[in-house]
Amino acid sequence: MEDSRSLSNSTALRDESVLRRVRHLGSAHDGLREWRLQRWTAIALIPLGLYFVVSMLRLATSDQTTAAAWLASPVATLLVILFVLAALAHALVGLRSVFADYVHTRARLVAAELFVRGATIIIGGMSVLAVLKVFLEK
Amino acid sequence: MERPLSPFMFPTWYRFQITSLLSILHRFAGIVLAVGSILLAWWLIAVATGGDVFATTHAFIASPIGVLLLFGWSVAFFYHLCNGIRHLAWDAGYGFEIRNAYRSGYAVLAATVVLTALAWLYVLLA
Repeated sequence: MEDSRSLSNSTALRDESVLRRVRHLGSAHDGLREWRLQRWTAIALIPLGLYFVVSMLRLATSDQTTAAAWLASPVATLLVILFVLAALAHALVGLRSVFADYVHTRARLVAAELFVRGATIIIGGMSVLAVLKVFLEK
Repeated sequence: MERPLSPFMFPTWYRFQITSLLSILHRFAGIVLAVGSILLAWWLIAVATGGDVFATTHAFIASPIGVLLLFGWSVAFFYHLCNGIRHLAWDAGYGFEIRNAYRSGYAVLAATVVLTALAWLYVLLA
């Protein structure tokens, strides 16, 4: 089968067509893992998200002592860490699928994914450290 | 022939319907929530640090811009939650009939308005 598309004009679609040619119309085999991760984190985020939002509503106008006292309880520490990790994993899968749809050149796609992965790790790391700091200081 | 590329399919190539509108809003809300996670991390760090950092953060959240951001975040959260449950039902194979897809779409919009209103009533009355 002759593919008239230029290989140097890299797009997100290009990898698919190259893989398909190499593997004889097979799939790339790693899509299902992301699909499952998105659904598992979505299911986990229903109770975790509701817990977090209800807690935030109760703390909306509170001072630092009240907020820290809430966050330092073992249940809140655990659930907030789980919420942050599930939410960021869910966000990462979602943002990557947005990029895959709307970013049409290879270099920009790689740059966007690197940026979002890095930002996710930093935001997640800082959040978890902050929660653990409050928990351990009490 | 120049083929149209996403996201420029509306309104030239596709007509807006409640189903497609809710679909794109789901993505948009997801992006809002992802960006909003920066504010969440900031608040957690402020609680852990205390002192001036928490005072500044608290003042920002209570300012008009802060309240507006929080309101936007809450709308995005409740919408993405309700529509996400709709998506999970589809993944499980339920509700694909066009009539039901429209009904669940309107139900999601109604639930978003009700949940957001309840949340902010609680904040204002507390």
